[in-house]
Amino acid sequence: MIDNNYDFTLIKAGLLVDGNGGNNLHKASVLIQNGVIKFVGNQESVVAPEGASVKVLDYGDKTILPGLIDCHVHLNGIGDGRVGNDLVTLPDEVLTLQSAKNARKHLYSGVTTVRDCGAKNNTTFMLRKAVEMGITISPRLILTGRPISIVGGHLGYFGEEATGEVECVKSVRKLIKQGADFIKITATGGSTITSLPFRPSFTKKEIQAITFEAHKMGKHVAAHCSSSEGIINSLDSGVDTIIHGYHVESDETFNYRPEITEKFIKNGAFLNPTLFQGRKTVEVLELKQNQGYLTRIESEMLETAKYRNEKISEIVSKMVSDGVQLACGSDASWTYYKTGDFQSEIFAHVSVGLSPMQAIVSATKDSARSCWIDDKLGTLSENKIADILVVDGDPTEDINNLRNVVDVISNGEVVDRENFI
Amino acid sequence: MRPSKKVVLASQIIDGTSMDPLKDHAVLIEGSNIVKIAKKIEIFQIVENQEYDLLDYTGFVLIPGMVDCHTHHNGFGDGRLGDEIAKIPDEILTLKSASNARVALFSGITTIRENGPKNKTMFRLRDSIQSGKEIGPRMNLCGSPVSIIGGHMGYFGGEVTGVFEVTRYVRSLIKEGADYIKITQTGGTTKTSSPLLPAFNLDELEAITKEAKKFGKLTATHCLSTEGIINSLDTGVDMVIHGVFKEPDGTDKFREDVAERLAESRAFVNPTLHVFRARAWEMEKLGLQRKLTKNEIKLFDQHRRNFDQRLIDCSKMIEMGVKVITGSDSSWGDYKLGNTIHETECINMAGYSNFQSFQSVTLEAAKALDMDNSVGSLEVGKKADMVVIKGDPLEDIGNLRNVFEVIFNGEIINRGSKDSNMSYIQSPP
Repeated sequence: MIDNNYDFTLIKAGLLVDGNGGNNLHKASVLIQNGVIKFVGNQESVVAPEGASVKVLDYGDKTILPGLIDCHVHLNGIGDGRVGNDLVTLPDEVLTLQSAKNARKHLYSGVTTVRDCGAKNNTTFMLRKAVEMGITISPRLILTGRPISIVGGHLGYFGEEATGEVECVKSVRKLIKQGADFIKITATGGSTITSLPFRPSFTKKEIQAITFEAHKMGKHVAAHCSSSEGIINSLDSGVDTIIHGYHVESDETFNYRPEITEKFIKNGAFLNPTLFQGRKTVEVLELKQNQGYLTRIESEMLETAKYRNEKISEIVSKMVSDGVQLACGSDASWTYYKTGDFQSEIFAHVSVGLSPMQAIVSATKDSARSCWIDDKLGTLSENKIADILVVDGDPTEDINNLRNVVDVISNGEVVDRENFI
Repeated sequence: MRPSKKVVLASQIIDGTSMDPLKDHAVLIEGSNIVKIAKKIEIFQIVENQEYDLLDYTGFVLIPGMVDCHTHHNGFGDGRLGDEIAKIPDEILTLKSASNARVALFSGITTIRENGPKNKTMFRLRDSIQSGKEIGPRMNLCGSPVSIIGGHMGYFGGEVTGVFEVTRYVRSLIKEGADYIKITQTGGTTKTSSPLLPAFNLDELEAITKEAKKFGKLTATHCLSTEGIINSLDTGVDMVIHGVFKEPDGTDKFREDVAERLAESRAFVNPTLHVFRARAWEMEKLGLQRKLTKNEIKLFDQHRRNFDQRLIDCSKMIEMGVKVITGSDSSWGDYKLGNTIHETECINMAGYSNFQSFQSVTLEAAKALDMDNSVGSLEVGKKADMVVIKGDPLEDIGNLRNVFEVIFNGEIINRGSKDSNMSYIQSPP
């Protein structure tokens, strides 16, 4: 609810983590006007202009940091283990309902911006319209609508299969016309039954046509890559974010390729490694195993997931230590990873070598940079939108403190996290 | 795992069947059902040495979950016309419906009869609820109302002509999951329709009711003029909605002969009084903000007089023994879901006693929907849908608004913050 009775909102907190990765500020204040941060500093220095009416939110010894930015969600997802091929059989109305539910859950858990990396038909565009109409609430939505896929490729069932440069360009233009903020492509196969996860999908020429068109329109491109050839094709064609980015050869063997890391660094591309996705699968299946009812298929799935998680962690750790920049994105609610728990992916970033501070940056500033929204979001600094997370405890000391959410502030307003209407 | 048994205590239990509240009683819930209602001592003896949750509402009144026989979940209740709602994409209307469903549930309405949404939006919402992805009250659905071309709510997708088409449409609605068949037998607010004239010819209407009956489904007709009511009586319709006595020239004329037939028939009447008053309230509120224009004053006067007339006619119907039930018609026009009790209060004003008014939104409403075998009262074998309220509704029916807790299907509903539950409340000017 917008409170129009005050000219300014002044937020006070014991600790401020601004998202830039530098030193924390103690006894800090943020002054907000019309949902925009006007001033950040210590409590003595931040004052509203004389005579102005100020609403004060004093969080005592709590910590404030930028609202979390999850650069990879699937709002359509249910997170109960079902694969995309099954998800897509649900009607659009049902998927839109699910999207609204996921969006709300994520917002209440501290995520103030999400980038949706692929949904069926117009469901996420419809969600955005409903939010604009005041029917439901959600984090800021950075949308692609439908991912562009080759015929039979990963996520092609969502409704945007394209072949050849002309069709690819057409898809980009069509999506942008419908309201896409960025373009997601699937540069290799994935869990989609008809696709081949260890083979590239689009040709370089097709990807180049997509990135050229998207960039021309001021939109960035993110590519799903679950194997090396797709990563190389994407990086060579100017893709801005590589999703998953696992170094896997077409024979399914993991093989770290330094040239990929070099290309990442040369291009300044982001890696969104989606580490927790596979770990969640193991968590869920192991729980089932302990309860003693794992099917044969699930047993196999568990063994594969364990092996893959280990290899993926190794490779991502190597990429990180070699200088690849990470953008944090959960991939929820895909497979078993439900929305409302972005923190788990941030913690996973710590597990591959990031400090808690770096992990926070990967989920705020760098996530914003990868989404091309860092001019407005991602740090607590002047002229940025006042999306703020209030937590209990210092998350740069102990990253687990990110779970102790006290308040979520979006656009300078405290979100009622108990609003279920 | 929580124990599946729950013992519910309250200072008073108004079970819906009797005017005399039960005191020192408790309700025993097992799973989603009521398994016993008896003296506290007796209930505690039953559960002795067993695992159970104690829900102690001492100081409060326990009543059956309420039943609203007439809702529009696609609607906004902000004055916009159905013609405008119909332009909104199905996905968005489904989202609105879900929100309205939660509002209804949070306000103590545990069963709704939806009276006409666009396309399959409500069926899709129910799918989501049934698969556990959403929450909402029990739903008695009709799908898009059966309408003539250009008739009322035809824009929602159910325009049909002739015996063949109407029969086919009824079958397709039932296939989709319709629990009853809603027919717009006169025009309404729909721009292309004529509220004073009947819609379907008798052979068409008869074909609809016959086909519905064959499948054990009830029928309900929207009637904004007397001819529509007569048509409905002639074809054995189970509920007359609005039940407005107006001649084809627009004059108000209470037809005692028609009312008598209504009283003798099995049909329930859903007078939708407050939806007429809601417009007047909004205009009055506007008048408090700024000076109304001449035209607005004229309209305001019209709406007030219309409401007064409906109230008088409803009083007469009640006096003659017509079975009147609560169906809010929200969120239609200016009437938002979550405020069903405004309608119950109007029925109370029209002459129902407090207990009759209470029953009009509980047991009688459930009977009107043919759902009284499972909901509408607190009785053994029925669903554990109950509302905890502050204040005795048999003293002041308005106390039904003071919802403290909602138990649905044997589970406490988390209704969220007080602020959010204030957001849908509509108060008098």
